[in-house]
Amino acid sequence: MMILQSQIASILLNGLQQGAIYALLGIGLTIILGTMEFLNLAHGALYLVGAYTGLIVFQETALTNGLLYNSGITSIGFEGGFLAAIVLVPIVGFAVGLLMERFVAEPFYDRPETDQLLVTFGLALILEETVKNVIGGNTFQSIAPSTVFGVNVSQPVSLPLVGLFPSWRLIIIGFAFAVIGLTYLAIERTDFGLVVQAGTRDSEMVRLLGIKINRSYSLVFALGAALAAFAGLIGASIQTVSPQIGTTQALVPAFLTIVVGGAGSVRGAIAGGLVLGVILSAMTQTYSQWAQIVLYLFVALMLIFRPEGLFGTAEVGE
Amino acid sequence: MTGDPADDAAGAVPDGGTVAGETAGGSGGSALAGLRERDDFVVIGMAAALVAFPFLLIDVLGGVGDAVGLSVGGYSGLPSLVLIYGIVVIGFNLLLGYTGLLSFGHAAFFGSAAYAAGLFSQVVPSPILMVVVGTLVATLLAWPIGFVSIRRSGVYFAVLTLTFGQALYFWALGPGSWLTDGDDGFSGIEADGLFLGALPLDAEPIPMLDSYTVMYAFTAVVMLVGVWAANRIVNSPYGLILEALGENEERVEFVGLNVFRYKLMAFMISAVFAGVGGAMFVIHEQYIHPTTGLYWIQSGDFVIMTVLGGTGSLVGPVLGALVFEYVANVVSGVSLPVVGSIGSLWRFVLGAVFVFIVWVFPRGIYGAFADLARYATGGGGGSGGEEPAAADGGERE
Repeated sequence: MMILQSQIASILLNGLQQGAIYALLGIGLTIILGTMEFLNLAHGALYLVGAYTGLIVFQETALTNGLLYNSGITSIGFEGGFLAAIVLVPIVGFAVGLLMERFVAEPFYDRPETDQLLVTFGLALILEETVKNVIGGNTFQSIAPSTVFGVNVSQPVSLPLVGLFPSWRLIIIGFAFAVIGLTYLAIERTDFGLVVQAGTRDSEMVRLLGIKINRSYSLVFALGAALAAFAGLIGASIQTVSPQIGTTQALVPAFLTIVVGGAGSVRGAIAGGLVLGVILSAMTQTYSQWAQIVLYLFVALMLIFRPEGLFGTAEVGE
Repeated sequence: MTGDPADDAAGAVPDGGTVAGETAGGSGGSALAGLRERDDFVVIGMAAALVAFPFLLIDVLGGVGDAVGLSVGGYSGLPSLVLIYGIVVIGFNLLLGYTGLLSFGHAAFFGSAAYAAGLFSQVVPSPILMVVVGTLVATLLAWPIGFVSIRRSGVYFAVLTLTFGQALYFWALGPGSWLTDGDDGFSGIEADGLFLGALPLDAEPIPMLDSYTVMYAFTAVVMLVGVWAANRIVNSPYGLILEALGENEERVEFVGLNVFRYKLMAFMISAVFAGVGGAMFVIHEQYIHPTTGLYWIQSGDFVIMTVLGGTGSLVGPVLGALVFEYVANVVSGVSLPVVGSIGSLWRFVLGAVFVFIVWVFPRGIYGAFADLARYATGGGGGSGGEEPAAADGGERE
């Protein structure tokens, strides 16, 4: 009985960690899709930007190939530590998001969704290939600091039920949920959030009411980008980093998260992320070969029997 | 529009023509437009293009390349590969461009047909039977997937089709390894000669022109049949209902037509094309891996080829397949004077090409050519009726 309980607790904790990443990705994607009805396939590339920015800010990394290496630079990084990365990564993500909205997304708001798909997929390829060719196509180790605020976090801590658990991962879960909580409050409790929420329901009406929604669009897009970049940083601290992570580890889960939660709903994205995270961790710890298959089939069943998602009210795109 | 009474779809749906007349209203064709819609015109035009294609791609471009010192010509397998993807995207376009359904799971049909054909070749190595079996498996798979997916629209339909494709991908990679050889990929596929073991596929019957292999001829014939069939579908009342669905689904429903059935049929037809392409692919490559066959990026590639070529026309997507495969296989080998070898940068070039084309030519490569032709001939009024989907289908929601 104890073994079962401890396994469940461990599944929940790991699920929370993976779910936090999915939720961060999902919130960003859902507010962009909801307010602007813009299908952003470059969302995974923002995760990639976050992961590499984190890598560069966090530590000095030796390069083995790529443009920088070929031009004589054998290592990059500021050795700023993880706290610097936590501050800088969302800022970089925010800036990239602003640029992306202004120069790529905005001209495509009124174009068909297939055009949006093509241009953002093209952009994702360009970003991925730029990273690959400049910094190098090899896989970097994950970036977990050994100390935070002078406290040693490299040792596992003993938790009730779960047993030994890497203390660094606990901190990551804390950071991630702090950001998720703040975002949730910003959307639910501020005027800006009110405009965003109204925009996801009926953006034309918001504009008719005299609210400058275009400015909010830029902010929403940049906020979504900052969250995706932050997810990238969290991901980089527990998984390896390579140029492919944007398309393989971030883009599809982000879409799964929002359809499970209900497109356009921030609450749904959080719930969706956690549900998917727990399913994945439960399957990985029991029948790992079937983990991804069960995850996708769960989403399929969800879409067939509850297309409005956990928290959605109506289908987008109808 | 042609109102061919012999068409089987016309018999099945007597009031189909009425709907079509409404939606495509005002597209009264000039003599030229009428000619272009004729089956034999499309098929003969396509046949001529198919005969010239390898020569242009390999010998002419190769010659140009030798002259300027850049290897811009294709290798001899490339024409077949372009046509194989061309077959897939012609069918995919019937779903995306005409019916307005964006699937992100067509790799499932492409890949399952490829695996089925590959497995079947271990028993009977006949290329024709491999295609038949592969297509059959893809079609059987498309029915249940289509049946549940069609009920959703927009992003939901896209993600739903994607989940089935991905589930199949991870199955082939893990638990299904006993059948698919998992991550090692399924190899050792040896297709026999085309007819009863005669005519080996890699034979080069025409001296001097070694790109005209039997494989190419086989692909070209299949492509021709595909174009003919797609053209018949598009120009039948049935096809016009599909087009009307892409424009305004509700209206079609109000007219009293069974929307679900038509959408499912469009889904199945596109899966048949994907299946034919998948089986041809495995015959051509003699190898299939879950990533090249079933992964969602492959589905995404179909979307991209289609949009790149232009969703508004029947053969436009084939141009998309050509550009896509050309960049992937030829541009990657080009070495420029200052930049050096493009090599690993080819995906960067591909991304830039997408962004450029979608930005400058919203109607795709075919749309750009059509505009150019209209501009050159002094702007014809009849050209609007030539491709009704291009004008309206692009803005469907």
